[in-house]
Amino acid sequence: MNSVIFFENVSKTYAKQLGVLSQLALADVSFSLAQGGTIGLIGANGAGKSTCIKLLMDFIRPDSGSISILGTSPKNSAIRSRVGYLPETANFPANLTVLDMLRFTGGTCNLPPQDIRVASEKWLCCLGLWDARKRPLRNFSKGMQQRANFAIALLNDPDLLILDEPMSGLDPIGRVMISDLIQQLKDAGKTILFCSHILEDVDRLVDNILLLHKGKKLFYGPPADLAVQEQKTSIAEAFVSMVQKEESHA
Amino acid sequence: MLSRLRRIRSLSRLIIIDGLRRHALIGLILFALAGEIGGLLFFDFIPRDIGRASNDFLFSISWLTGFIFLLFHAVQVMAWDDERRILHTFLARPISRTEYVLAVFFGLAALLLALNTVLGGIGWGMLNLIRSSVDAASYFQHLSLPFFLLASAGLYGIELMLLAIILFFSGAVRGNFPVLLLSLSYYFICSGLPVVRQAIRQQTAHPASQYVETLLKGLTALFPDFSRLDFKTLVASSDPVPALSQIVYPFALSSVYVLIVLWLACAIYQRRDLE
Repeated sequence: MNSVIFFENVSKTYAKQLGVLSQLALADVSFSLAQGGTIGLIGANGAGKSTCIKLLMDFIRPDSGSISILGTSPKNSAIRSRVGYLPETANFPANLTVLDMLRFTGGTCNLPPQDIRVASEKWLCCLGLWDARKRPLRNFSKGMQQRANFAIALLNDPDLLILDEPMSGLDPIGRVMISDLIQQLKDAGKTILFCSHILEDVDRLVDNILLLHKGKKLFYGPPADLAVQEQKTSIAEAFVSMVQKEESHA
Repeated sequence: MLSRLRRIRSLSRLIIIDGLRRHALIGLILFALAGEIGGLLFFDFIPRDIGRASNDFLFSISWLTGFIFLLFHAVQVMAWDDERRILHTFLARPISRTEYVLAVFFGLAALLLALNTVLGGIGWGMLNLIRSSVDAASYFQHLSLPFFLLASAGLYGIELMLLAIILFFSGAVRGNFPVLLLSLSYYFICSGLPVVRQAIRQQTAHPASQYVETLLKGLTALFPDFSRLDFKTLVASSDPVPALSQIVYPFALSSVYVLIVLWLACAIYQRRDLE
């Protein structure tokens, strides 16, 4: 199978800034994600999950190692027309509506106006935002903003979905809605990378997990293997056990 | 190339819509319009040369409004993009960093053009109204539409140069306040440099002043003399019309300057990490 995402010996250190020391974010991390696969990035805060995503989206560049996404370098901006990205927190210009953002997304992905209209209506209805489509995004609740982000990420029918904490800010109903949607997208053959602190979701939705701790790769493989390796009954217990072992070695 | 232009247009459109819906900006325009209409009262206090004084007043209002727009909207747009990570939302789409810089520039430039057009239109109307209210032969002899348009274009040219510099500083340093301070400092240096050059020129007898003059002349490549684009005195005066080259040359220079600064801004955005 072709690798949609390929990380090879990637290292990244955030440069020293005024009052902040330089900080190792990723150390020699390698992994790959095959087409149609689902991978979950897990780890404590500061583990390097978001750094992996930022590297994939070309927000930051690696110090060493190589990264490819859909067979090309992340620096190739055109490739992002085949990628749907959901940030952890919604970041929109204050005075725009979700429709403005959808038109913008469609325009940059070279979608015809008719397709943009059809896809916008489909995803706004699906995510329960149709009635709020003309309201400024600043008036959306956090959960609504997250769903708006989802609609924007899915508008161009991407081959690869990169989801940074997709359940962040959602109420239980919203969480179930998004969780079901991710499952549907997975069943539809989309390649999905997501990071989450909610390990039950990760366990249920992914084929493989990548456990990171302080920038180092601790485990890569199916969630069940992590539990077996650590001799625990759940992925959450196995995660805690592995991280504690690493801390005690350090 | 066409798809690149389409992407730039899509983002520019967002910048324009966001600006048009911003209440502070609408307030600024209303404030400026009130100021221009205030010109009707202002000219009552001018004993002579009403045309020149009213014209200066109206162009000053336009310039001040554009300056406030640049410092308190353009700077904020760039800073918010970075600090609130709106930039990530934009760059998660198939937009390159160069396209981002160009789209923001064109979006803000279009807003500035709309602002100048509205204020310029009202200003021209005010000048005509004032002229018709006084004894034109004695107090308001000259009023030239071509020179009014030229002066407006010059004003817009200065604003575009400042906008390009703001984009450059926004790439080079982070945060709203540092960019604001740097942009203000830049403007003051640009405004002050011709005065210093003039003062040095008057001391030509001193040998050291030759070196200083050369140095200051070189500095004008970094800190251009905005007054070269200031043609407002031609609108309502009988001053001799400058040669065509004296009009074209400053515009050509400012276009080159904007292109170079934008290229540098793009280069900075290409290289930097967007943490």
